[in-house]
Amino acid sequence: MTAVQKRILINRIALGFSTLSALIALAFLFWILGVLVMKGMSALNWSIFIYEGAPPGYDQSGLKHALVGQLILVSLATFIGVPLGILAGTYLSEYGKNSKLAHTIRDISDIMMSAPSIVIGAFVYAVIVMPMGHFSAYAGAIALAIIMIPIILRTTDDMLQLVPGTLREAAFALGAPKYKVIKDVVYRGAKAGILTGVLLGIARVGGETAPLLFTSFNDNFFTTDLNSAMPSLTVTMFNYAISPYEDWQQLGWAAAFILSMFILGLNILGRVILFAGKGK
Amino acid sequence: MASIIDIKEECALQVRDFEFTYKGAGVPSLKKITMPIAKNSITALIGPSGCGKTTLLRSFNRMHDLYPGNTYAGEIEFEGRNILTPKEDLIHLRTKIGMIFQKPTAFPMSIFDNVAYGLRLQGMKNKTELNDRVEKALKDAAIWKEVSDRLKNDANGLSGGQQQRLCIARAIAVEPEVLLFDEPTSALDPISTQGIERLVIELKERVSIIIVTHNMQQAARVSDYTGFMYLGELIELGHTEELFVTPKEKLTQEYITGKFG
Amino acid sequence: MIDKIFFNFTRFSALLILVIVAWIFVVLFNHSLEAMHTFGLDFITKDEWAPNLNKFGAYAAILGSIISTTLAMLLAVPIAIGVAIFLSEIAHDKIKSFFGISVELLAAIPSVIYGMWGLFYFVPIIRDIFGGMGIGLLAAGIVLAIMILPFMAAVTRDAMNTTPDILKESAYALGGTQWDVIKDVIIPYAKAGIIGSLILALGRAIGETMAVTFVMGNVHKVPGSILDPTTSIPVTLANEFTEADSSLYFSSLFGLALTLLVMSFVVIAVAKFYFLRKARRA
Repeated sequence: MTAVQKRILINRIALGFSTLSALIALAFLFWILGVLVMKGMSALNWSIFIYEGAPPGYDQSGLKHALVGQLILVSLATFIGVPLGILAGTYLSEYGKNSKLAHTIRDISDIMMSAPSIVIGAFVYAVIVMPMGHFSAYAGAIALAIIMIPIILRTTDDMLQLVPGTLREAAFALGAPKYKVIKDVVYRGAKAGILTGVLLGIARVGGETAPLLFTSFNDNFFTTDLNSAMPSLTVTMFNYAISPYEDWQQLGWAAAFILSMFILGLNILGRVILFAGKGK
Repeated sequence: MASIIDIKEECALQVRDFEFTYKGAGVPSLKKITMPIAKNSITALIGPSGCGKTTLLRSFNRMHDLYPGNTYAGEIEFEGRNILTPKEDLIHLRTKIGMIFQKPTAFPMSIFDNVAYGLRLQGMKNKTELNDRVEKALKDAAIWKEVSDRLKNDANGLSGGQQQRLCIARAIAVEPEVLLFDEPTSALDPISTQGIERLVIELKERVSIIIVTHNMQQAARVSDYTGFMYLGELIELGHTEELFVTPKEKLTQEYITGKFG
Repeated sequence: MIDKIFFNFTRFSALLILVIVAWIFVVLFNHSLEAMHTFGLDFITKDEWAPNLNKFGAYAAILGSIISTTLAMLLAVPIAIGVAIFLSEIAHDKIKSFFGISVELLAAIPSVIYGMWGLFYFVPIIRDIFGGMGIGLLAAGIVLAIMILPFMAAVTRDAMNTTPDILKESAYALGGTQWDVIKDVIIPYAKAGIIGSLILALGRAIGETMAVTFVMGNVHKVPGSILDPTTSIPVTLANEFTEADSSLYFSSLFGLALTLLVMSFVVIAVAKFYFLRKARRA
């Protein structure tokens, strides 16, 4: 075999391996999604949305408590995290720019994005749950907000920087003060990107379980009291799935399905918005 | 309609009714090009941006095949065969028709390994042989004196002009028949540009050269034949002096006198 | 005036990140002091986690974290690189976007679902093939590998895509095959970015809790074999935080949390500052 023929053969083998890996990854994706859809959909029915949690074996048990609780926690976290994240991103892009401080904040924020979320739960436990003496939705939401802020900070920073400098200069040239330039020109220009960042942040945080484990803890019953432990879809899913009770496990899969659809939906929505925004 | 000179000497390449359409494009980028490329001489392709000169150049070594979806028709004859057929051995073709790009593209490896790359691809392993061929190529590219004492150093340490000459050395090490230059000095300073131009003129003794350039003066300085292209068509091809002094086509005259482009 | 207020609001929000991060370290450190004073270095080196006896040596958990993550990396890295090569060099347009989106959607699935799938569908397979309980280091390593795969493939692909086209074309122009170009041009060029991406994924894997909790076993013992149940730092925290009943117990858990934070922080920082710098500038 000549050297060239050998190279061509090695090329085929290498590309074959690569394609094989891609197929393996795809196979796992389909396997997991398939399981999720099958088990999830078979466990779905209206009672899930009507009834709240109940001891195993009970006929009338559902996920209402967990669904509402998840909504409360995520909304509260969004309420806290999004403004802070956007403002922080604004500082980096419009004021800090390339200063040492700005770079440090960006770097630390990046690291936080990959840091273990359970540690944040431990932190919030020490700082909020212990002094309060009990678990609460506040604690859970704050833990989620802390995870959310770096994500939103990063996307806001990136998106704002994409707005051309000439646009800002034109506004300044008309005599606008800086906050107005940011509010009317820069934010508007980056609207789609910021929104996508927010949606992705919500999607990421909505799927978190670990930081809630000892902050909002869990509750098998419906509650809207922010000052008490709050049920969440993720923790409930965890508890139910790991239990030895078949009906609880079913509910766990239903919860998994609902949560995944919601998160995937947010991801797709975020992409579509960004795509449509770019088209303009 | 186009004025194409009849080349009496031997031709390295012959283009016949070559048409090229980019993927997804409605109209062809190259429209029925017919053109001879003389052997052991320098043919320059000039024309305004978007006229198709780079597209034509990249067709000679089938670079477009890297990006599936393009379509072409017609013939390009090289060594007695049409190199546009699907059964053409592209790897072999590219060792016979080499290319130098707009920006220096030194690989992330030592100077020696860069020049030896093409040789190793062909299976050359003997150290003495490699050393000899690398040295010869570096000498022919007029850069041997500058790098002979640091062949093991990373190629990225060289200046832009040196890197481009390194790329030329790398391309001629495999002893091709044709060399394609795609605006090779557009990223270089005037002194380096001079060096490359001198080198290209020397090289034509051994290879046939096609050079795309947006710099008319460079074409006038360097080439034996010049082809003027406009909107995907070859308008005129002739001896460089004649084309620049007494162009046969009106469009050519307008381009040369700076009316557009 | 409003300008100044707005500016201060933004600066406050930005500085908040730094404050929170520093605060986290301080709080965790303070709360682990009791355990550190009581056990000293034994906290990390002793395999003796007995809540009833109020003795806490976290060696098993730390070892579990290290081994499960190493196993996950061994499995995931080759496949992730293969997928990255496929995505950046082999796939044609439609396939590329289909695969690309699949990978990113996979990365968006909450980790708790990977854990559930692992427990109900993968563990029985391990049980069938190898015997034993199925739950343990092997299961944890595999589930972790699958979990980290999409992220790793995506960032590695991004690193490879930074290679300039004309550099690749230069190699093709000399008669190189696709694999020649990948091995001689792309990988050396993007080397820093690729390694950085892999290390970044490692940093994430260290902190992974939910995917692993389902299948690790939560047994505080150094495992005898890869099939034995054991524990890792995040798994211990997840399972025992709400059961801690003495201040020493709590302090030990906080000590674990601090250890975990430092481990992942260091790994991620190394990836970011040492390897991914170049990729950013390019």
